[in-house]
Amino acid sequence: MTSLLSIRDLHVSFDTPRGLLQAVRGVDLDIPAGTSVGIVGESGSGKTVLSRAAMGLLQGKNVQRTGTVVFDGKELTSLPPDEVRNEFGTGMAMIFQDPMTALNPVRRIGSQISEGLRVRLGLSRADAMKRSAELLALVRIPDPQGMLRKFPNQLSGGMRQRVMIAIAIACNPKLLFADEPTTALDVTVQAQILELLSELRAELGMSMVLVTHDLGVVANHTDIVTVMYAGLVVEQAPTRRLFANMKMPYTEALMKSIPRLDQPSGGRMPMIAGRLPDPTAPEPGCPFAPRCPYVVDKCRSSVPPLVTDGDGHSYRCWLPLGGGI
Amino acid sequence: MRKALARLDLFTKVCAGWLSMVVLLAIVGPYLPFSDPRESDIEAMGVGMFSKGHLFGTDSNGYDLLSNVITGTRLSILIAVVSVGVGGLIGSAIGILSAYRRGKFDYVVSLIFNILLSIPNLVLGLALVAILATSADPNEPVSSNRRVFVILISLTIVIIPILGRIARGATLTWTNREFVTAARSMGMRDREIIMKHIVPNVLPSIYAVGFLAVGVVIVAEGSLSLLGVGITDGISWGSMIARVAGEFTYAPHSMYVPVTALALTVIACNQVGDFLRSQLDKREGKI
Repeated sequence: MTSLLSIRDLHVSFDTPRGLLQAVRGVDLDIPAGTSVGIVGESGSGKTVLSRAAMGLLQGKNVQRTGTVVFDGKELTSLPPDEVRNEFGTGMAMIFQDPMTALNPVRRIGSQISEGLRVRLGLSRADAMKRSAELLALVRIPDPQGMLRKFPNQLSGGMRQRVMIAIAIACNPKLLFADEPTTALDVTVQAQILELLSELRAELGMSMVLVTHDLGVVANHTDIVTVMYAGLVVEQAPTRRLFANMKMPYTEALMKSIPRLDQPSGGRMPMIAGRLPDPTAPEPGCPFAPRCPYVVDKCRSSVPPLVTDGDGHSYRCWLPLGGGI
Repeated sequence: MRKALARLDLFTKVCAGWLSMVVLLAIVGPYLPFSDPRESDIEAMGVGMFSKGHLFGTDSNGYDLLSNVITGTRLSILIAVVSVGVGGLIGSAIGILSAYRRGKFDYVVSLIFNILLSIPNLVLGLALVAILATSADPNEPVSSNRRVFVILISLTIVIIPILGRIARGATLTWTNREFVTAARSMGMRDREIIMKHIVPNVLPSIYAVGFLAVGVVIVAEGSLSLLGVGITDGISWGSMIARVAGEFTYAPHSMYVPVTALALTVIACNQVGDFLRSQLDKREGKI
């Protein structure tokens, strides 16, 4: 299987007054064409930074990025910015977390959708508007023509996220990054948006990277899951395999921390004790060691390598659950 | 548009009406059938308000105050509008660019803005006029046109950091919004992002502060005239005030007329500016 996007040894750090903050510490990731890959992890695990760094959207003098990102046969990390920009919209596109801030409040929906079409595909104003209406229909918005004339503040959160999706898929990208697309929405709307994304992916033949903290979302909408912790990939497997056979204690802890309906109410919510390690001063050893229930001495002294078993299941643990290879 | 008008309260309506009238007079004033502002009526020197043939009276040299104040509108408004317009354009362009680019350029720009803002604007204007509009030969005074031009430039320089800082601050908050990242993720160039995403969001706050700045400039022009470095032989509100300042005890109404016109215009500018700002806050609240 060929990879549409292939990330090798990606490091991203931010120069902060407290020291060098290592947000992503050497990530390898492959997105095979036509698949949906989930990136899971708690807040601060580096999943958003990873997706933005992959597209090269992190700007600023304090950002340091090393490693290689190869998209569709082109090595983005060594291309000049103008040529990387050529991949945006038509090659890669991104849906953002908060639809409240990701739309420009003073411009009409129609002009915001047609912007990409005009800049990237060179459509005329009239053609771009026509296509925008089609896109709005594609993301299941009723009365697309009327929607073109509206301002973002006239829409609900779910509608805005649909508009964001319409903008992102406007130029038929091969790969869609969805950065926590449903976090700012309520649960019923979340389900609709995720369903819409899966349908669009099938209709348009896109690959998708779904960044989320919600294992339930990942279970239903991805083919491969990558679990991140403290800037490292700690486990990766085809979705079914991962849920059937977790190797990494962190994944298990994430799974256990999902509230369940069949537990008595009023009790304490299950949670993972402790906090993420300080990203400015990583300690030697497995980053999860201080919070891991199965920790042994070896865990505190050296970082386990990412090993892959015969079924394409990778994990980073000295004492994998259910035994090692 | 009609909805926007309906939201106006009475005071704002009156202020907007006054401003429209002042601007209209500035444009057509000299063509209206008033008596020649430069012609002294020796029959009626220093007569009070509502006297025959002189609605606002005359000053102690017999100049008709009504025609003077209407003729003076043109120069005062011209100076205010041009310096705020040009200064605002330059200032916001610099402010937006520096906030968007950040880095060393931004550091230097903010430093210059802060230095300029730390000097009281009247002192800054005075210094600039003194440098630019003095002639080496005392027997050959600087021409009136040059004076007007120099005052325009000085007041423009006063305005640049005021509006520039507003534009910079607004740009800083808008640049961090996700829609700018979203626009970049669609392959938009910086120039397109600034023109299509930043400028439309920054403009309202510049309008609001721009109106306040018009008031500042009108007062500054008056003050410069009173200090003797303003327009000497042209007619503006400031030069009227300067000319009659010495005879306040003999014909106080000759002072009241230009001062009232100036004060009302400044109040109207402030009110309209405040109104625009409140509309802006409401819109911000909805986001």
